[in-house]
Amino acid sequence: MSDARKATEQEPTTHFGFQSVPESQKAQKVAEVFHSVASKYDLMNDVLSGGMHRLWKRFTIELSGVRPGNRVLDIAGGTGDLTRKFASLVGPSGEVVLADINDSMLKVGRDRLLDKGVAGNVCFVQADAEKLPFPDNHFDVVTIAFGLRNVTHKDDALRSMLRVLKPGGRLLVLEFSKPSSELLSKFYDTYSFRFMPLAGKLITNDADSYRYLAESIRMHPDQETLKAMMAEAGFERVSYHNMTGGIVALHRGIKP
Amino acid sequence: MLLSGLYAGVELGLNRLLAMDSTALPRLARLSGRVIAVQCSAPAIQLYLLPGADGLQLATHWEAEADCRLQGPAAVLLRLALADDKTSLLHSDQLTLQGDSGVLLELAAILQDLELDWQYELARWLGPVAGPLLAGHVQSRASWMKQGAGRLQQMFADYLAEETRTLVGRREAEARFTELDQLNLALDRLEARLQRLAQRAKPDA
Repeated sequence: MSDARKATEQEPTTHFGFQSVPESQKAQKVAEVFHSVASKYDLMNDVLSGGMHRLWKRFTIELSGVRPGNRVLDIAGGTGDLTRKFASLVGPSGEVVLADINDSMLKVGRDRLLDKGVAGNVCFVQADAEKLPFPDNHFDVVTIAFGLRNVTHKDDALRSMLRVLKPGGRLLVLEFSKPSSELLSKFYDTYSFRFMPLAGKLITNDADSYRYLAESIRMHPDQETLKAMMAEAGFERVSYHNMTGGIVALHRGIKP
Repeated sequence: MLLSGLYAGVELGLNRLLAMDSTALPRLARLSGRVIAVQCSAPAIQLYLLPGADGLQLATHWEAEADCRLQGPAAVLLRLALADDKTSLLHSDQLTLQGDSGVLLELAAILQDLELDWQYELARWLGPVAGPLLAGHVQSRASWMKQGAGRLQQMFADYLAEETRTLVGRREAEARFTELDQLNLALDRLEARLQRLAQRAKPDA
């Protein structure tokens, strides 16, 4: 599997929502989206998902199998929802790394966690998921929640995650996916392309970012494609769980 | 997902209650990292309890191995939750307990020892004047109602025992029971005496 990279004379292109942009510009454009929404990210998550994102993340934690003393990497950790829970599960003998490529999101996450008294076993790293700055075989669990679709080269990112995982360690990818029913899919399309940009306009005064969100979800690989990509990257026992009728899927793979 | 949402709601409420007790959270923090699995056989529901410094986490599924696994029908599990003497119920045939029962008993003890400081919580919401004022009022009403209920119970018992003679009064019943005990003892002694006499009356004795 490979990303949709169109070879042009100058530079390969990739998708940014429904647009086609040079690969080197995608990260910058995604960064602009998240700089714009960082301050109201949590509020928007609650509004747009009706609070469901908390249940999706809850299920991710349940499937993580994190134990005291484990080392966990939360990629695209954003405002630190998963990190907070992992920090309590790994205890003082463990370590959680909240990594995000976007410094605005990282700052919001760091401030929020410190305000809630989460410290000591958590560290914050600004990192690109495609080139993780960690040693090989370092983490027991790696998670990426609602972040993979924004990565330019998903294959490289998955390989990088495999590299930093210990053998037997697990990767959990929580991401929007394809609804399993046609009826739900139609409703979801209307919701995504009409309501989400409108809510973005009203709450953050930024309809474009939420239009990008809806478009990027449509461009993201569906359940089976992502499963195959994970298997190709080298993960074993890859499986996925559909949530809320397939609107979100949790993929899990084990490093052999 | 529905069950997960339900657990999330219960967890939120439960942790608010636990935070109202000054000792519960530090005691739960000592159990941090332990996993208790409760498997209800009828209806088939699975619940994982994960104590920690923030309170109790409830989960529908937990990938890591549980330290203690309790299995039984809902009615028996509910009885266990409400019973004072949990140890005897844990030995019942209807319950299966695997792993470290100490974790479960410690968690049960923490929940049983809860002393909720609801006056503090009220003061936090209503302020330092209105909170204690309302708390004092509620407390005096509660005490009046408790006394009233006690008096009503006493009067009703007196009416049934003294006026209608439907029931026997406690003291009268106790006196009668004492008499019956004494009679029972006297009969035992008489029986023993008769046996001794019968032994003596035998020709070869």
